[in-house]
Amino acid sequence: MLGKAVSYELIWDFTVSGTVDERQRWILSAMQSHGQELVTMLWRILGNEQDVCDTYQNTFLQLAHYKGRQKPEHVKAYIFRVASNAAVSMLKHRVAEKKRLSSAIVTRKGAVSPANELDSKYLQETLRCHIAQLPGHLRNVIMLRDLAELSYAQVSRILNISAATARVYRCKAIQLLAVWMGKEREEREW
Amino acid sequence: MVSINKNKGTTFRCRSQNGSSNKCRQIRVWLHKAINSRLGLDADWVQNHIANCSRCRRRFVNVGQVNLALSGMKSQPHKLDLLMRANTQAIGALKHSLRRAPKAQKLRVMLPEPKLFERCSKYTHSVTNVAACIAILLLMKIGIFSSMDKFQTKGQKVVEQYYASQVGEDLADEVFSRRVQIFIRG
Repeated sequence: MLGKAVSYELIWDFTVSGTVDERQRWILSAMQSHGQELVTMLWRILGNEQDVCDTYQNTFLQLAHYKGRQKPEHVKAYIFRVASNAAVSMLKHRVAEKKRLSSAIVTRKGAVSPANELDSKYLQETLRCHIAQLPGHLRNVIMLRDLAELSYAQVSRILNISAATARVYRCKAIQLLAVWMGKEREEREW
Repeated sequence: MVSINKNKGTTFRCRSQNGSSNKCRQIRVWLHKAINSRLGLDADWVQNHIANCSRCRRRFVNVGQVNLALSGMKSQPHKLDLLMRANTQAIGALKHSLRRAPKAQKLRVMLPEPKLFERCSKYTHSVTNVAACIAILLLMKIGIFSSMDKFQTKGQKVVEQYYASQVGEDLADEVFSRRVQIFIRG
């Protein structure tokens, strides 16, 4: 009798887990439909393949555990926001690590020559550092509009702002980044 | 887009609204063009000012650097299997049953694919060429068929005149009236 009860319980568990899995299949669908765009954005933000894979994994883990394994209302918006936040914190961590190794940075600063001005990789790394320092609302727009190449309509939907506001934020972000890039160039020249 | 409405006033209002929105759009485009030509970076006075003002020149260079870095970030390609690896890693952290789903197997070997628009963009030239050829052929065909009747009647008149001058009008009339009768019967 007891054995039968245990086996019934097992069957019940199996069916319950099966239904839960059926309900969570949308995670794989989300991965299929938005994965490519997400990887492209993360690659542009981070520029490192291992970091991209880690952030991608964290994003989908968070999605799987969203509010008791429920499906968010706007999956795309949720994924992009989580991924960009995770990428920025990773970027900030990287910048802090670089600053910690100050001696190496000093030697690097000394080695910067006018030829480096045209060094694309150096420019990209500098811009990444500055993007990480931008205020959140400006940074989100730059990431979604320029790095994920989403339209202003999509950006506005994800960030819950109007398209015109997104345009203004992008303009401000570019101005701020330009000022910071200029300052750094001047410092290097001195 | 004019709504069909029994109430003429409403139809008129819709039409007038539509007209004003079109006008509005035209004015907006015109304004955009005008502002761009006068205030855009390519405007002469802006270029002259940048050449003479060191502050603006510096700002211009800085913005250019940001745009350069952004385009560099966008154009740097990643390895082809990055999506595959990222998917594999992410699926590995999910529940066992999700990991064994057939969709998960597909995602593990998924490669980045260009979007439909990008895929079709390489065929745009050939498609436009084919469309142009088809349009020319259609126009030619229409032109030939419409002028065929004219050619026929004119040719008949010429031959009739020739016969009239060579054999005489009576005989020519007889021949051509008979031909016309045969043609009508046929």
